[in-house]
Amino acid sequence: MTVHKRRIVGNRLPRIDATSKVTGAIVYGADYARNGMIHGAILRSPHPHARIRNIDAREALAAPGVFCVVTAADIPSERFGSFVKDIDVFAKEVVRYKGHPVAAVGARTREEAEAALPLIRVEYEELPVVATVEEAMADDARLVHEEWESYEANATLVRRGNIANHTRLTVGDADAAFAGAWRVFEHSFRTNLQHPGYTEPRAAVAEWDQDRLTVWSSTQTPFEQQSTLAAIFRIPASNVRVSVPAIGGAFGGKLRIGVEHVAAALARKARRPAKVMLTLEEEIATGYCRQPAHIRLKLGVDRDLRIVAKAGRMLVDCGAMSGSGVGVASSGLLMLAGPYVIPNLAIEGFAVYTNKAPTGSFRAPSGPQGNFACESQMDMVARELGVDPLEFRLKNIVRDGDKGPTGQEMGTVSVEECLLKAAEAIGWDKPVVEPGRGRGIACGWWTMTGQSSNVFVKVNPDGRVVVNSGCAEIGSGAITGAMQVLAEELGVDLEDITVVNADTASTPFDFGAQGSRTASMVGNACADAVRNLAAKAFPVAAQIMGVTADSCSFGYKAIVSGNQSVPLAQVAASLQSGAGGLIAEGSYIQPGTPFDKDRTSGMVIPVVNSPSYHAHAVDLTVDEETGEVTINKYVVAQDVGFAINPTYIEGQIEGGVIQAIGQTMYEEIVWENGEVRNGNLTDYKMPTAEDAPEVVSILVERAGLTGPYGAKGVGEPPVIEPPATLANAVHDASGVRVTDLPITPEKIALGRVRGN
Amino acid sequence: MPELESAPDGDFSVNGNPVDATGHDGRPLVEFLRDVLNLTGTKIGCGNGECGACTVLVDGAAMCSCIVTAGSMRGSDVMTVEGLASDGRLTALQESFMRNGALQCGFCTPGMLMSATELLLRNPNPTRQEIVHFMNGNVCRCTGYAQIVEAIEEAARHG
Repeated sequence: MTVHKRRIVGNRLPRIDATSKVTGAIVYGADYARNGMIHGAILRSPHPHARIRNIDAREALAAPGVFCVVTAADIPSERFGSFVKDIDVFAKEVVRYKGHPVAAVGARTREEAEAALPLIRVEYEELPVVATVEEAMADDARLVHEEWESYEANATLVRRGNIANHTRLTVGDADAAFAGAWRVFEHSFRTNLQHPGYTEPRAAVAEWDQDRLTVWSSTQTPFEQQSTLAAIFRIPASNVRVSVPAIGGAFGGKLRIGVEHVAAALARKARRPAKVMLTLEEEIATGYCRQPAHIRLKLGVDRDLRIVAKAGRMLVDCGAMSGSGVGVASSGLLMLAGPYVIPNLAIEGFAVYTNKAPTGSFRAPSGPQGNFACESQMDMVARELGVDPLEFRLKNIVRDGDKGPTGQEMGTVSVEECLLKAAEAIGWDKPVVEPGRGRGIACGWWTMTGQSSNVFVKVNPDGRVVVNSGCAEIGSGAITGAMQVLAEELGVDLEDITVVNADTASTPFDFGAQGSRTASMVGNACADAVRNLAAKAFPVAAQIMGVTADSCSFGYKAIVSGNQSVPLAQVAASLQSGAGGLIAEGSYIQPGTPFDKDRTSGMVIPVVNSPSYHAHAVDLTVDEETGEVTINKYVVAQDVGFAINPTYIEGQIEGGVIQAIGQTMYEEIVWENGEVRNGNLTDYKMPTAEDAPEVVSILVERAGLTGPYGAKGVGEPPVIEPPATLANAVHDASGVRVTDLPITPEKIALGRVRGN
Repeated sequence: MPELESAPDGDFSVNGNPVDATGHDGRPLVEFLRDVLNLTGTKIGCGNGECGACTVLVDGAAMCSCIVTAGSMRGSDVMTVEGLASDGRLTALQESFMRNGALQCGFCTPGMLMSATELLLRNPNPTRQEIVHFMNGNVCRCTGYAQIVEAIEEAARHG
């Protein structure tokens, strides 16, 4: 077979926004400013749960520099939310977490706005606090949302009281299978609350012109913000323009509306542009973090070491608003099942309200929680049975032709290849000789969010290309990846392409920078646009060359037919003057993944779309006395389908692993009795350069069915397997099994003392 | 490597230009740079000197501009990310950051570049360990640091 070296895709080209990012020229949401702009600050509830008796803003309004104070009374609508409409812009009658916005001040400067906050007098009547999921699930539990029944909600959800969604995944007869199993194992796990940790705080600038609203914010989903803002302010969506300056990191934390509505409320009342930017303390206390989970798993195996049944329960602590938690309780069941052939499943999930800050859709929502439990248990069971954890996995993993837990097609399945490559790279077969040293391995699978992407592509008379895409560049370089597809297909250089993106007024609809979808979905839309450009350009080129249009193809900056060619610029110039220009739209709509509905209940995410497969392995040393862990080498074998730009894929893998090492080893926002105990970057420690071990990336390329050239979703998977991989290695090295994240030295040292 | 120029006049210099900080003495330097001089390349991340996004060079030394005041800069030469490239020519570090995937979202990049600039001014041939140690005060959530360290190594080799 001849393999053609491709000119653009598959190459390590610099990203298209690189120059503006190293010179400081690029403008982020946090940098954005308008003339005459005022600055907002948010008054937040000091109580985890309380009734608001009265708000008196008179003194604040008289303070220096203050233009306005806004409260729930200034918001025309009641509540909003993606799955359950349980979120208010400002608390109206009840505050449901410490940090719940109650009012906002707009002033000449940020300092003046902050100075006026304590002058707003709010009378509260404190209410009993639902601090934990156990309390929330109790029969006599106080309700976080007393009016939950009256809230509008997605019809698939199964709701009751403090449970925003009760999900079930049922296959076969798990009870009967356990009864007939050779051995049955049960384990419990807990995961922690991690902040996405983007370096740019959430920020937005809003401006009104009569009843037309423009918002500039570093959001991942401008079209969702457009419709949400329209609903909040009861105006037509067409009256709302959301434009996205550069995004300073997001990881899902800027997926849902954050401060845009507050800026809009201030601007509306003050009749001038308003900016809201959160402080670090506000970010840590109220960011859209990864939901903590309590998980119980039961696994039954037969004498051949095949899994015959798995049962489990996952409690997802959503905080005071359900947010993405109802989805985490859905996809989480697929993660708990794992990439294994299991004939009988009975797994359920509960998305639970508590009086804590709302959580969100942090990178691979449900992945790390579910995989930590699934893959820790695989290791624990293998060791109890006295078999190699790798062998135990290889005996049970899915392979080409197998079906997923809900009956879905699995695409090109590469778990085995990933496991074997990761194992080989970490030296799995070689004996460990040093005391305190050990290895761990884990595997998993993940979804790529589908929906639609659309682009307009225009070839200018000078042969250069302008692309309008509704998708924002989240930071990963995925838009560069999509443009590599365009450059390859159209025969231009990456430097020839300018992207205008993520502005609801000027770019076509896109489902957003989320779910590992951008490079594939926008790339597919670009490929479609090239087909449409060909339909316009080839007849013109054919006429110039005296050939037929069907003999034409795109060459390097030219349209070619046999040994003749005509410059792309000439065709574009000719079309511009005579026929409306060389401009085309491109669309891609991801087909849904069919599944067996009878196996699911409440699952708003019932399938793993265009699955990617991956395996991680680590070699580490645990200090015998202190329990300190030193990671010697970390290996990721990830099936990316086709590596559009290996440099940025490695960047996703390295960055994801380090972020997940943070979750696994130390990052945890600690809530006690409804309050955050560690609201700064010293007490909430994120990895810095000295914490980052060597990460080896092995890019497996088994072409998938969806992405361009077979590309699969890349961005989220790297954070999924580290918790289990590290936990398994810590056990191998120290004999201590830690089942609650983070795996701190204290837990390891204590475990050793207690003889765990 | 960019030359550090001295300010002829003014309270202090920013990227070689004299600036008047009258009335802004008590403000954090980062706000003076961003809000008064409109040099928004310097970022505000944490605002507490913990993340390094606001790093600038003060007389060649990397410093968090969110925890020093504009008034304390009198007589100093301040350099921000906007001052690195001269006549549109990028520095070796800027070029190597671009080549090595050392930036993703790019929000930490200005601070990273300023810290790395000081490192290479002081130590033109740092070891990998020295780079990692020196860059430990700048938080990046995207890259996992490896490509940043590689970019600095490459700039040192070819700079």
